[in-house]
Amino acid sequence: MAVHPKTFRNSFSRIILYLILIGSAVMMIVPFYWSVGTSLKLEQNVYSNPPQWIPNPLTWANYIHVLTRIPFSRYFANSVFVAAVTTLGHVFFDTLAGYTFAKLKFPFRDQIFFVMLLALMVPFQVNLIPLYKIMATLHWTNTYLALIVPNLTSIFGIFLMRQFMMTIPNELLDAARIDGCNEFGVFRKVALPLALPGIATLIIFTFMGTWNDFLWPRIVTNSEKLFTLPVGLAQLQMKNTSNVAQIMAGTVLTALPMIIVFLFMQRQFIEGMTAGALKE
Amino acid sequence: MTAISTSHRLKRSFQRHTLPYMFIIVPMISMIVFLFIPMVVSLWWSLNDYTGLTAAKFVGLNNYIKLITDDKIFIRGLLNTTVFVLLGMSIGPTLGLLTALMLNQNVRFRSIFRTAYYLPVMTSLVVVSTIWVMLYNQNGLFNTILENLGLHKVGWLSNPHVALISVAIASIWQGFGFETVVFLAALQSIPRELYEAAMMDGAGAWAQFRFITLPSLKPVIIFVYIIGIIGSYQVFDQVFVMTDGGPVYSTTTIVYYLFNRFMNHKLGYASAIAYILFAILVIFSYMQMRLTREKA
Repeated sequence: MAVHPKTFRNSFSRIILYLILIGSAVMMIVPFYWSVGTSLKLEQNVYSNPPQWIPNPLTWANYIHVLTRIPFSRYFANSVFVAAVTTLGHVFFDTLAGYTFAKLKFPFRDQIFFVMLLALMVPFQVNLIPLYKIMATLHWTNTYLALIVPNLTSIFGIFLMRQFMMTIPNELLDAARIDGCNEFGVFRKVALPLALPGIATLIIFTFMGTWNDFLWPRIVTNSEKLFTLPVGLAQLQMKNTSNVAQIMAGTVLTALPMIIVFLFMQRQFIEGMTAGALKE
Repeated sequence: MTAISTSHRLKRSFQRHTLPYMFIIVPMISMIVFLFIPMVVSLWWSLNDYTGLTAAKFVGLNNYIKLITDDKIFIRGLLNTTVFVLLGMSIGPTLGLLTALMLNQNVRFRSIFRTAYYLPVMTSLVVVSTIWVMLYNQNGLFNTILENLGLHKVGWLSNPHVALISVAIASIWQGFGFETVVFLAALQSIPRELYEAAMMDGAGAWAQFRFITLPSLKPVIIFVYIIGIIGSYQVFDQVFVMTDGGPVYSTTTIVYYLFNRFMNHKLGYASAIAYILFAILVIFSYMQMRLTREKA
């Protein structure tokens, strides 16, 4: 029996569709694959022709090098510590402030909030240099304080949490007040649990932003002991003594933690990323 | 009896009027100390000849005038950044929309594809840049493939006519997954009934796209472009890692030059660059406000 022309056309266009999708997905994956592969190669095989798609021989020496000769484990610990403390700060301060702006009435509330919205437009580069001077004056450069304290809260985070807090019905909060809860208790026992999806989004944004941040940590640290992963990696890549296979080992170590977190929390990542765009 | 109610009233008044301020005090102090004061200081420095080492000398608008009329590198940086933004914005969102439209066609394994496109978005720009430096190397994967196809090698990052395009390609690769995911979510929120009604009226695929999909996506399209433009104007990490602004200033961008002046102790001058960047971004933020308000 002959295939109906329309069915044929449909299945043909579906094959084309899948070919394009698979082709572009491969283009997204190959650079990652190539960097993992290179990190497992001997340096003399990095730029070999024909290209080595599978490392031969396979070696862990580059990882051992960056973890022992270059303090990548130290960079790693710094990144974890800075990102964790910063995220904790945001979860507490942004959530509480977001709740306050959404649910409590106080003089000048709307005026203060309006000023904050305007401040949201200011690019970081505008306050970067004086901020560095403040850090230098306080003798905070080359300490964790400079990496953490200016970033413990953000207007964006407060704005995000306010949006989530607005969806909580006032009746629930009033009921808790009538039961004798004080204002902080209302926040902690009623609002906070209800805002958990919002907090998940906040955690993702903050952790990712801090983990990947480069300009600020690059400027306030110049001692290897304080480097975060991106700063350490950029430093490694600029040294002309370092070889490509080692740089790629450092690259994989820098990227892997975020990728693992992402694969486990994909749904929250994508919902968080799209929430802002669709609410506009 | 009265004593109790007075203390009760005091307590209530504290809860009503003082407590809210205590709840926001840390963010407020943080905003004043780390944002507003530096902003004002930066504005003042931009009107001064200031190295950070010696006393500041007031020079009025001289820094701005010099930047715009006399500093060839800055003007080059302004042009480079604009070209980078135009390249990114003409390709990235279009690619994102096309991918989203394809993924929206009842595709199997949609989430696996989405993951693949999204992976670079959450990877740090430094990581993305180090990977692309390797791919772009004179003997790297791209040139090896070109060579094996019998073509000439390209000086991806060493040819001043090509380097900016190479940086833009890597940036588009890094970012278009964000646009894909945002567009896909928007496409899925368009009610099915609209398409069904259109099909009943005999509308073809193109007419459906033109009169249903595109208008429904308009607010998201505006969002994606404005966010993209504002972000791209601040491009720095890629340039720092991949090219250091070279060769011969062909990839020097606004923020890279600002960083460069800052490192050379030209703090007043660098502050003026920051304010020029700010002015450019304000224009786009204002456009976004106008465009989104129109719709409401």
